[in-house]
Amino acid sequence: MKIVLDRARCEGHGLCEEAAPRLMHLDDDGELVLDREEVDEADAALANAAVRVCPVAALRVA
Amino acid sequence: MSTPPTSDIDLFADEVLLDPYPVYAELREQGPVVHLRKNDVHALTRYDVIRGALADWESFSSTSIAFNPMANEALTGTSLASDPPVHTQLRATLTENLSPRALRGLKGKIETKADALVAELVEKGSFEAIDALARAFPLEVVADLIGFTGHVRDNMLRWGQAAMQVLGPMNQRTAENFPVAGELYAWCSQVEAADLAEGSVGRGIFEAEARGAIPPNTAGHIIHQYLGAGVDTTMAALGNLVALLGSHPEQLDLIRKDPSLVSSAFNEVLRFWPPINAWGRRATKDVEIDGVVIPEGAQVAILLGAGNRDPRHYENPDAFLVERNPIDHLSFGYGPHGCAGQGLARLEAHAVIDALARRVKRLAVGPEVRVPSNITRSIEELPVLEVIPA
Repeated sequence: MKIVLDRARCEGHGLCEEAAPRLMHLDDDGELVLDREEVDEADAALANAAVRVCPVAALRVA
Repeated sequence: MSTPPTSDIDLFADEVLLDPYPVYAELREQGPVVHLRKNDVHALTRYDVIRGALADWESFSSTSIAFNPMANEALTGTSLASDPPVHTQLRATLTENLSPRALRGLKGKIETKADALVAELVEKGSFEAIDALARAFPLEVVADLIGFTGHVRDNMLRWGQAAMQVLGPMNQRTAENFPVAGELYAWCSQVEAADLAEGSVGRGIFEAEARGAIPPNTAGHIIHQYLGAGVDTTMAALGNLVALLGSHPEQLDLIRKDPSLVSSAFNEVLRFWPPINAWGRRATKDVEIDGVVIPEGAQVAILLGAGNRDPRHYENPDAFLVERNPIDHLSFGYGPHGCAGQGLARLEAHAVIDALARRVKRLAVGPEVRVPSNITRSIEELPVLEVIPA
């Protein structure tokens, strides 16, 4: 499973980081960094939670 | 496939605007889509369907977010009322100075302001919470942010309220508010950089226009949207949070014991009483939802509050519980048109909840006064009869 970020849509609300701090974080400039793009079974629920809370639908899993 | 169930409920009747929740429950049980004959709209009533429609801009166009053609016409060319691909550029321009990224530097200032205001009100012992807090705080934050001075600052409240009222159907409230919304529109179409305070975000928008970073003649439109969309709704949310924490002292206690609940509490305030009752879309084609069809061209009404109280999605939805953390509530919308100012709204509301939780043990509130309003549901007067300090 892969997390896909639509960077043009991302506005840095940071709710995904709250949901899945292991997988992504906002850097010092407020830009989202995907620390892990390839997600294994164990983190699938976290990845889905991050996708679900993005208020502007900038994340999806493929 | 069949036609949706129908109802004679009038979404914009005074009693429905004042307390829409019984009507929402009735419509939700009728089906996820209900045709309201009196308003000639197809209402979306359940959580999943609403979230799905907000994400699906190809089926549900934003060219009809208002419930009358004049307002939709006036909003043409704004990001609020556009669809991708045009929307994508307009949105980027709008959020350039409004995204959480852009606002990071403001957090400390906003917290200091909120804390000073709450401290002053606690000291007073009793106050009217809407004017003194729910309106005063966002007006000051937004005025300072955009750089409003003088008579504009004085007009922000009525301009902001009117900008939301005129999105309703062509009823008396809409008709009465068009001239006031027109004042805002007129001012925004002639405002210049020099009218805004130096160093403000508003001035920055004009500088961006001057150096070609945003298209010519868009600065005024952006300022119009900041004022039109961001003032009335934020005031509603702050009034609601004071009322709800006042009338649910046990919930305030939970936040006082665990300040990490501040963000969860604000999500719950927004879920429980969304500042916006109904928001429009237009079906671009025949859209099938759970076996019924919304016909091409139909005006759609998205009932955010009905979705937020859908028992299919939230357990015990009519209870106000600050520990719930309903981070996926519908009150900011969702997807490409998700509230552009939600980062600023969160900064303001979190600062107020945090200050209240630190400084107040209990707020004894009197009965809230409401007046019907087409789009925004907010409290007009909220007496705080006694503050018991922490």
